[in-house]
Amino acid sequence: MEIYLPIAEMPVNIFLIVALGTAVGFLSGMFGVGGGFILTPFLMFWGVPPPVAVATQSTQIVASSVSSVLSHWRKGNVDFKMGGVLLGGGLVGSLLGIQLFNALKAAGQADLFIALSYVIFLGSIGGLMFWESLQAVRAGGSQVGGRRREPGGHYWVHGWPLKMRFQRSKLYISAIPPVLLGLLIGVLSVIMGVGGGFILVPAMIYLLRMPTSVVVGTSLFQILFVAAFSTMLHAITNQSVDAILALLLIAGGVIGAQLGVRYGERLRSDWMRLCLAGLILMICLRLGIDLVFTPADPFNLVIEGVE
Amino acid sequence: MRLFVLFALIAGLFAGAVRAEDLAAGISRDKIEITSSFTGTEVVVFGTIEDDLGRSLPATEMRDVVVVVRSEKPYIVTVRKKERLGPIWVNRDMRQFAGVPGFYFLSSTRPLKDIARGDTLEQFELGLERIALGPAPGAIGGPKEFREAIVRQKKAGRLYSQHEGGVSFLSGSLFRSTVALPPNVPAGNLKVQVFVFSRGEVTSTNTMTLFIDKGGIERDLSELAENEPALYGLAAVILAALAGVAAYFAFREWL
Repeated sequence: MEIYLPIAEMPVNIFLIVALGTAVGFLSGMFGVGGGFILTPFLMFWGVPPPVAVATQSTQIVASSVSSVLSHWRKGNVDFKMGGVLLGGGLVGSLLGIQLFNALKAAGQADLFIALSYVIFLGSIGGLMFWESLQAVRAGGSQVGGRRREPGGHYWVHGWPLKMRFQRSKLYISAIPPVLLGLLIGVLSVIMGVGGGFILVPAMIYLLRMPTSVVVGTSLFQILFVAAFSTMLHAITNQSVDAILALLLIAGGVIGAQLGVRYGERLRSDWMRLCLAGLILMICLRLGIDLVFTPADPFNLVIEGVE
Repeated sequence: MRLFVLFALIAGLFAGAVRAEDLAAGISRDKIEITSSFTGTEVVVFGTIEDDLGRSLPATEMRDVVVVVRSEKPYIVTVRKKERLGPIWVNRDMRQFAGVPGFYFLSSTRPLKDIARGDTLEQFELGLERIALGPAPGAIGGPKEFREAIVRQKKAGRLYSQHEGGVSFLSGSLFRSTVALPPNVPAGNLKVQVFVFSRGEVTSTNTMTLFIDKGGIERDLSELAENEPALYGLAAVILAALAGVAAYFAFREWL
């Protein structure tokens, strides 16, 4: 069954889009990522214009993250204080990111920088995470930090000043690392056009040493605000949010998110890390292939507007 | 362009090669409303060519007909080209074009090259390779491959097409052509042009407008998005959040 999208100006199959929304919502609820990095390429593949795909997926992320944050919150798995600190850093980061993005654009190197930073970030985070979680799975499961493997690793960040107590995360650490992390995510999300969940989640697990159960809910809490902000920004500057497309994605997304939360809590922490690492590596691989392989058509068209 | 047609007509008359003719043309629908069930449609362009006394032209005076349907308002389009930089492919060169129609359809009685000379076809932008895509204001011209990329990709997206032999004569004077509008046809008026050729020269033309507009909820939504962007964005965020809350409560009991 087809329905015409008013902003994308094309028809799509209703069931296909709802199914896509459900799948992405499921991953989101389970791993604490937004899922835009999966959703956007799929929508573009089906012919949705890139600006509409990018803007509309952020609306779906608002819905699915609200849905799963509430479930995580009920179980006491959202650290609002940590989320707030990350958001504060993120706000400053996105302002810096815009400056950096414009500077890179002026230098004509934005595309190269974005492509490379994607692959390098995803590759190294995914690779390290995969290795670590594989060891943990083999060892029969452990929380990160429960048994430290290498001395002198990450605990140095805990010694910094401006200590704050994050009750839910069972942490008493300096506020500087979370602020810096938020800042980095803010810069990256502006430059790379993604919410940054797949960087935030591993960073909270490995750098801040938060319990995995709290990481997912807290990440989604932060992503919710980034996605809401990004929806507003796209709606105002590009008028590219497609309400019908968003509605279909949301219908699947909120249900998928609920299922994702349920299955996520049954998944052991080490397995969860392993699956997320696999997901990150797959995305990295896809991007890497795009970068290295000769494109089918080296030209790409962008409609700037009516004359 | 009109002046040129007039000139061509007068020149034709003076040369004595072409008999006076009368072109009447129409479209099966002149208004298309895009609603939520729109999946593309077809319109028929038809017409008659008779002499000034209303009789069919004699068989020795057969005319060629070219039908062009194209967007009234052209786009500005940026074309980027990926090039190899070490082991990876990145966007390097770019060109900006103006006058890019969102939709272009051409059908003709015979292959264009048999109908008229290249420069005549060029004059009326007849043929995919002759659409006048110029550099955008302030942009520089570039290699042909950028322009070719536009036509190639629009063709692949079913927005540009050319059907030589797509116009058929049902009698000595009555012709018709079916125009397929794909589901992704951009909303916005289309210009329907009919060109009549005789011995390589344009002898008559007719221009009509095919109104394409969104209807129903499709129109309401895109108007809201355009006129009240902040309200639209805010509504999208609030509705999305409410959907999330609803799903939470619905599933709290079930799962």
